[in-house]
Amino acid sequence: MFKFKITKVLFFMICLLFFATNFTGCIYFSVEQSSESSHSIDASSEAPSTPQESSIIILSTTTSTENSGLLDAILPIFRTDTGIEVKVVAVGTGQALKMGEDGEADVLLVHAQSSEEQFVANGHGVERYDVMYNDFILVGPKDDAAALSTEASADILKAFTLIRQKECKFISRGDDSGTHKTELKLWKEVGLEAGGAWYVEAGQGMGAVLQMASEMQGYTLTDRATYLSMKDDLDLKIVVEGDSKLFNQYGVIAVNPEKNDKINNEGAEKFIDWILSEKGQSLIGEFGKDTYGQSLFIPNAK
Amino acid sequence: MKEILDGVINGFRLLFSLEPEVYGVIYLSLFVSLSSTIIAAILAIPTGIIIGTKEFFLKRSLVRSIYTMMSLPPVIVGLIVYLSISRKGPLGHLGLAFTPTAMVIAQAILVTPIITGILYNGTKEKGLEIKRVAKTLGANKLQTLILLIKELRFSIFTGIVSGFGRAISEVGAVMIVGGNIKGHTRVMTTTIAMLRSMGEYESAIAIGIVLLLLSFIINSILYHLQAD
Amino acid sequence: MELRIKDLTKLYDDKLILDIEDFYLPEKTFLGIIGPNGAGKSTLAKIVANIEDASTGEVLYNGSSFTAELSKDMTLVFQKPYLLLTTVYHNISYPLQLRKVAKEEIHRRVMEIMEEMEILHLKDQKAWTLSGGEAQKVALARGLILKPSLLVLDEFTANIDPASMLILEKSIQNYHAKYSPTIIMVTHNLQQVQRLCSHLAYMNKGEIVESGEVDEIILNSQNPITQKFISGEIVV
Repeated sequence: MFKFKITKVLFFMICLLFFATNFTGCIYFSVEQSSESSHSIDASSEAPSTPQESSIIILSTTTSTENSGLLDAILPIFRTDTGIEVKVVAVGTGQALKMGEDGEADVLLVHAQSSEEQFVANGHGVERYDVMYNDFILVGPKDDAAALSTEASADILKAFTLIRQKECKFISRGDDSGTHKTELKLWKEVGLEAGGAWYVEAGQGMGAVLQMASEMQGYTLTDRATYLSMKDDLDLKIVVEGDSKLFNQYGVIAVNPEKNDKINNEGAEKFIDWILSEKGQSLIGEFGKDTYGQSLFIPNAK
Repeated sequence: MKEILDGVINGFRLLFSLEPEVYGVIYLSLFVSLSSTIIAAILAIPTGIIIGTKEFFLKRSLVRSIYTMMSLPPVIVGLIVYLSISRKGPLGHLGLAFTPTAMVIAQAILVTPIITGILYNGTKEKGLEIKRVAKTLGANKLQTLILLIKELRFSIFTGIVSGFGRAISEVGAVMIVGGNIKGHTRVMTTTIAMLRSMGEYESAIAIGIVLLLLSFIINSILYHLQAD
Repeated sequence: MELRIKDLTKLYDDKLILDIEDFYLPEKTFLGIIGPNGAGKSTLAKIVANIEDASTGEVLYNGSSFTAELSKDMTLVFQKPYLLLTTVYHNISYPLQLRKVAKEEIHRRVMEIMEEMEILHLKDQKAWTLSGGEAQKVALARGLILKPSLLVLDEFTANIDPASMLILEKSIQNYHAKYSPTIIMVTHNLQQVQRLCSHLAYMNKGEIVESGEVDEIILNSQNPITQKFISGEIVV
């Protein structure tokens, strides 16, 4: 009796597994198909004059460029100039690079220089160009319990050391994003191990982590753009800024067109030319000035 | 496709990996979803039975709103719970933000209308008849309630299974109120969302497989309990 | 149990569907209630069995109002029985379990009544697998096992096969002969009344038009509507 039941349960489990794999497989497949078909539909209806392949590109980028509003501000102008529509997939740097590696995107705009160089070296991308940089800042509770704004206002390594010593609450992105990688690099540089009750690993995007830091009254490393755009809703202030270690370089890379025949290399190259051009660069530099009184991204294409 | 296959294999590897972090995530998922389902069931089973057997003012509107709330978007529930328990919210002094308790509250809110709706549906069809039979055979109020619960056990089972399924598989609410904090409020679904954003599809699928297997086991146990 | 119905009315959505000024039923009577659809027969049966409440007036049981204690001494068998989601045995034993009867006693009485109603072979069958006739036998057995002094039967043999109906009727007759309860049987079937009942009441439009001993009414009805019914001019 008992034996019979076990075999029955096993049978069900195996069925379930088959079902699960088939099912997820189908979803995966259908996503591919639908993006494919939308390519051709959009192409034929919206830009009949340009060749089909170059009318749409998929840009895989980090949440910071999308959330800050930069892309919304400049991409319509790019479209008017070139007739190319950009589909933006905003994800973490890790996933953005992964999408490039899988040939799911045509062009990447990300900020993790060493990973990017590795990406190109591994043959996944054509070439990497500097586009712009923004800077990271350390934000924390308004009462600034660790007194970072007086002790280490422009010295991020000292600030990290103080946080570690006093075990102040610190919210880490914990999601393998560019910001997270920068944070880990800083811990490594000060030679300290981050971990323990004071060190909260959120595994979420910048906006959610800033909310958490505000809620838990902790410190966190953030990019300036996201912080400025959310500042009014946060119970936080800037405690450390201006350290050159906090500069965050964005690069643009066209995905290696040999990955698959869906990759729109022509469009990707046009996008790169445009964003590195004088016009693209000045648009980036202007962005944010009217709202925040300062540029959120500083163009530095060579 | 390769990610999915590798994910399946890794799913089994993870399940038997003896890695404390993985077990912590699984344990918390089960704890949060089972607690919220139990709390919801305690609230929803009598409520559903009462609505199903009694006539009262505005009953139809109430039923309609319960049906609507059966498909409450988890992110909205998460957001509302978060806003009420955050430091600026009315319940901020309790300090519940980013705790497992907050996750249980949010999921209980999601699950209660589901069990209530299913129980109401089952009771609506048979509740009056059961009550009448109990009356003709001389049952008192308590005995009638016990009989109702016994006779409606299939609805109760369906309700609990659907409610638990909703709880264990939702990500929106627990992500917002729990915050996906490693070792503290990280559950299977938020892990999957995070791994996806990190581009680690394989691991995400692996956790997904673990989640499916666990759901299967829990449902098997529940099924076993309700079968005679 | 003797019954007196006084000034009883029942309204559904402001429509008067039952209106009985005064009706007396001596104990040990086996009354058949007959009449066209919508005459209020079933409603009366349910009010007498205390399944529904009257709008005004009341039913007096042995001269006193209804009490919770009384509900243990009466039962109603419906046209469409609801059987509990369990075995035949547990369905029949359920009323005794409610009354906390000892286990051996329950077993003895359940076996006895199942044998009498020729359903012993169904003992361990699940209730939802039964045919209509079988289900009604189980429902009647479940009602009779608590030895009620007032038994109300609401068209309990409608849509039942003839063989089952015979057993059901025989069980009722035996029960009446053995324990002399008061029985009220709502039916469409005049022959069934003649076979089983001592008394007959004819209902029309919520009122009891005529009542008395069965033979007396059939042979010598005083009421034109009843006469028409008996002669077959009114089909019910």
